[in-house]
Amino acid sequence: MSNVAGSPLDTFLAELERLRSDAATALASATDDDAVEAARIEFAGARSGRLKAVQKALGGIPAADKPAAGRSFNDTKAAVAALLESAQSRLGGGGGAESADTIDVTLPGDAIPLGHLHPITQTIRQVQEIMGQLGFESVDGPEVEDQWHNFEALAISPEHPARDPLDNFYLATARAADPLLLRSQTSTVQIRVMESREPPLRIVSLGRVYRPDTADATHYPMFHQVEGLLVEPGTTMAHLKSVLRLFASRFLGGDVHVRFRPSFFPFTEPSVEVDMEWGGRWVEMGGAGMVDPAVLAAVGYDPDAVTGFAFGLGVERIAARRYGVDDIRDFYKNDVRFLRQF
Amino acid sequence: MIISTAWLADYVQLPATAAELAERLALSGLNHESTTAVGDDTAIEIEVTSNRPDCLGHVGVAREAAVLYDRPLAVPDPRPLEGAEPAADRVAVAIESPEICPFYSARVIRGVRVGPSPSWLVDRLRTVGVASVNNVVDVTNYVMLECGQPLHAFDLAKLRGGRIVVRRATADEPFTAINHKTYSLDERMCVIADAERPVALAGVMGGADSEISAATNDVVIESAQFAALPVRAAARSLALASGSSYRFERGPDPAMVDWASRRAAALILELAGGMLDRDAVTAGRLASSPAEIGLAAERVAEVLGIDIPPERQRKILVALGFQPLDDRGRRWRSPTWRRDCTRDIDLVEEIARIEGYEQVPEDVAIAARPAALSDREQAVRRAGEVLVGRGLCEAMTRSVVDESLAGLASPWGDATPLVIAPPLVRGADRLRRSLLPSLLEARGGNVAVGNEDAELFEIARGYLARPAGADTAAGPVDEPLLVAFVTGGDFFRAKGLCAALLAKLGVPNGESSIDYQPASLDPFARGRTAEIVLESPGLPARRVGVVGEIARAARERFSLPAPVAAAELRLDLLAAGLGGARRLVRPPEFPAVARDLNLVVAESVSWGELERAIHAAAGDLLEACHVGQVWRDPERLGAGKKSFLVAVTLRSRSGTLTGEAAAEAVDRIVAECAARAGAALRG
Repeated sequence: MSNVAGSPLDTFLAELERLRSDAATALASATDDDAVEAARIEFAGARSGRLKAVQKALGGIPAADKPAAGRSFNDTKAAVAALLESAQSRLGGGGGAESADTIDVTLPGDAIPLGHLHPITQTIRQVQEIMGQLGFESVDGPEVEDQWHNFEALAISPEHPARDPLDNFYLATARAADPLLLRSQTSTVQIRVMESREPPLRIVSLGRVYRPDTADATHYPMFHQVEGLLVEPGTTMAHLKSVLRLFASRFLGGDVHVRFRPSFFPFTEPSVEVDMEWGGRWVEMGGAGMVDPAVLAAVGYDPDAVTGFAFGLGVERIAARRYGVDDIRDFYKNDVRFLRQF
Repeated sequence: MIISTAWLADYVQLPATAAELAERLALSGLNHESTTAVGDDTAIEIEVTSNRPDCLGHVGVAREAAVLYDRPLAVPDPRPLEGAEPAADRVAVAIESPEICPFYSARVIRGVRVGPSPSWLVDRLRTVGVASVNNVVDVTNYVMLECGQPLHAFDLAKLRGGRIVVRRATADEPFTAINHKTYSLDERMCVIADAERPVALAGVMGGADSEISAATNDVVIESAQFAALPVRAAARSLALASGSSYRFERGPDPAMVDWASRRAAALILELAGGMLDRDAVTAGRLASSPAEIGLAAERVAEVLGIDIPPERQRKILVALGFQPLDDRGRRWRSPTWRRDCTRDIDLVEEIARIEGYEQVPEDVAIAARPAALSDREQAVRRAGEVLVGRGLCEAMTRSVVDESLAGLASPWGDATPLVIAPPLVRGADRLRRSLLPSLLEARGGNVAVGNEDAELFEIARGYLARPAGADTAAGPVDEPLLVAFVTGGDFFRAKGLCAALLAKLGVPNGESSIDYQPASLDPFARGRTAEIVLESPGLPARRVGVVGEIARAARERFSLPAPVAAAELRLDLLAAGLGGARRLVRPPEFPAVARDLNLVVAESVSWGELERAIHAAAGDLLEACHVGQVWRDPERLGAGKKSFLVAVTLRSRSGTLTGEAAAEAVDRIVAECAARAGAALRG
C-alpha cells in the first residue's frame, strides 16, 4: 500500500475514486437531511465542492489522456448525483408522496454483475452431463502430440493425406523422426487412456483441436471436439446407435431418431456419418464407427476379446446451430456483448 | 466427383429417378452434394471418401448402383484394331525409379487428325464440368472419368530421341506445364522425360512443349501407375492439383491401366482416325495384390448386432466383385479395385452398407455404469463458478499468438516459446506460455468497441518445452492448465478474486498454506504484483499463481486507458488439493472474544509479517485476524511509520474464554509482534 507517484492521469483517476468512495461512505451514514446537505456541499458544492476542485485538475492532464480523464470525471459526477438522490429519497426528502418507511418499488435494485460461461463451454458441459449419465467419464489430454498418438495408433498410415505437413500444425523442433504437432483430433486422448487402462472403458475426451483451415463463417483453424469411446466385450453397432439416440433425445429434446450413412475414418471400421433429426430435417452431427481392430491392437487390447465404438461431435457446429450463430468466428471474438447473451 | 446420369446409363439401366439414385448412393457411402440439370442430362455431385478411388469413375459408381438396384453391369471390352508395325519401333520406355512408378505403358497412334470432338463427347464432359479441348485430349479425360485411370497424350514428334524415361526430378529442375507456367521441381517428385528434359510431371500435369496441338500427327498414350507420395508432393507444393493427381493420390484400379489405354486408343481411332501401332510398349511390373480374407460365419452379427443370412452376405459380396474362394463364404479375394478391403472387418462394412444401416436397431439396452468427475474437471468447474459468480465472462482466445505477444514474460518458466508451421492465423505461430497477453488483447478489443467493463477469464492450457531428458509420459510438451482473468480495478480487487478462487479450490486448509510474495514480472507493474506460493506438507513450496496490476506500458500497448488488474493460476496444481471428501468442522459452541489492536510499525514491515507473528503467538485460540485501515501520519506516528488496525477474534474450543486468558493471549500477540516486527501497541 505504498504511495507510488504515478502519472498525472493516474493521480487524477485515483482522486476521483477517492472522492466517489468518500461520498458513498458519507451518504450511506447520513441519517438526516442536514447530513445529506452537508455531504452535498462537500462533494457537489458549486463553489468549493470537491468535484469542482477535481474538475480544475483536469486542466493539468496531458492532451492524449484528456478524453479518458473527462469520461471518468463525468462518470464520477453522475455517480455522486445518484448517491445524493438515493440518500435524499431514502430520508423521505425526495419530494415524493411516500413516507419514510415506504419505498418506490419500481426503482431498480442494486446492479449485480452477471457472469457467463462461454457458449462453447456450455455446449460441452451439456454433452458431458448427458454422457456422464450414460456412464462416460470425461477425460482430457495433451494438445501437442507425437506421431504415434495423433496418427500411427489411430491407423493413419504415413502415406495418408491427413499427415501432410500442409494439413497440420507441426512444431518447428529438431525431431525429424517423430515431429510433434498440435493434435488434429481428440482421439489422441482415447489412445492415451486405452494405453493406461484396461476395458471395460467408457470415456468422453474433449478439448481444442487444430487444423489449417482458412477461417470463414463455418471454419476456424482451432475448434473443439467431443469424442466418445466405449470398449466392452460384446459391443455392436446397435449399441452405438442406441447410445447416440439416447444422447440425441436428451440433447435435442423429444424422441429423436438417428441415421447412419457409410463413411470412412482410418480409426473406425465400419465408419458412419451420424445424422440426427433436428427441426424437421436430418442434420449431420458428426462421425462414428466401431473401433478399428488395428487401433485396439495398437494399444495392447485383444481385438478378438473386446469390441468398441467411438463417435465424435464438432462442438462449434452444434453450438452455432443451437444458438443461431451464423459465423463461428464470433465464438472467438470475445466481445462481451456476444458472451453476455448466453 | 460429378456423375452424368446419361453416361451412367451406358453401363447400367436403373429403375430410379436421379433424386432417388442420389439418396440411395448417399445411404450406401457416396455422400450427395448436389444435383443439377445440364441440358438433357443430369449432373449428380457426390463426395467420394479417400478409401474409394474406384468411385472416381462412372464405371465404379455404376457398379455400386447395379448392386443397390440388383441390375446387371455392362462394361465394354475395347479391342482396337492394331497395325503391323510395333509401337516399340517408335518409342522406348525406361523406368529409373520403380519405387515411384511400378509400371508404365505407351501406345502409339500415327496419322491422327486433331480437331473438335463430336457433340456427344462435348456434352458429357460439359455435364461433369470439363471443358472440351480437342478430340484427342477429350478422349483421355473421358476415359479417366469413365474408369478412374488417368491418361496422358504426348505429341510423338516432340519426344526427343523417341525416348520416355521415368525418373525422379532433380533439385530445382525447371518444368513448363500445359498452363505455360514454369515450375521448379525437387527430388520428391517424379517426371516423365524424353532423351533431354522433362515432358510431364508424372501423374499431375503434362508439359507445354509436348502437348497435343492442331499440328500433331502422331500420338503417344501414356497409362501408368504412379505412387501416391510423389504425386501429392508435386500437386501440393506446386499448387497444381488435377483430376489426375487426385486419383493417383488415392490409387486407381491396377486392372484398368491397360483397359484405359485400349479404350482411349479405340476412341481416338474412332474420332480422330489414324493407325494404332502393334502392342503397347511397357516397362516395369503392374503392382496388384488383391487380399485374401477369411470371414467367420458369426462375424457380421458380432459387429453389427443384426443377423444377415449367409446367402444374403454372399450375394452382396459377389455383386461387389469379391471372389469366393470356397463354397461356404468363409474365404474371399478382394477385387483389384478395392485395395481398401484387406480384413474381415472390411467385408463386414461392405455387407452393412449395402444391406443398409437402417436395419441396425437403435433401442438396445445399455448396461448402467457409474462415471465420476475427475479432480481436474471439478477444479475447472469450481474456478468457473467463482468467476462467473463475480460477474466475469468466459473468453476463448487462440492458443497460438504472434511473436510479440509470446515474448511477454511467462509466470511459468522462461523456456523459449514453441513455434508451429504454418501459422494458426496470419502472424500467429508461437504456442503461448500464458493466457494473460491474449486476455489483455481481448479486453483491449472490447474497449475499442465501447465495452469499457469487459471482465474476462479463460481456462486453457499453456505450452512450455520440457527440458531435455524430462519425463514425457503426460505428453511431449509441458501443458499446465491455467485460469487467468483481467478486471478493472486495483491489486486488491484481483487478489480478492484469487482468494475466492483458492478458497473454492480448498486452499489454504489445515495442511496447505498460501503465501503472497512481492514479484516482478511483465506485464505487471513493479511494486504492485505478487506471486502466489502454495506450501503443502512434504512438497517444496511452489508458485501457483501471479496477481497484480498491469503496468502502464503494457496497458498502452493493449489500448487500455483505465487501470487493469489480472491474475493467472495453475489449476492443474491446485486441483490436487481437491482430493478426498470434506469433513465437517463443528461450529464452535463457546463465545468469542473480539479485540482491536492498533499496531504501529516501520514502513518496511509488511502485513504478512505481522499476520504470521499474530498466528504464532495466539496459536489455537486465534479464530480470525483481519486488517482494517492502514494509515500514516508523520506527526502522530512519526516519520516512516504506519499503523495497522487489526481486529482479532479469539475463541477456545474447550470452554468459554475468560477475560484473563484473552488478555494473556493479546499480550502474547503484542509481544510477538514487537519481537518479530518491532511493532508498538498504540492507545
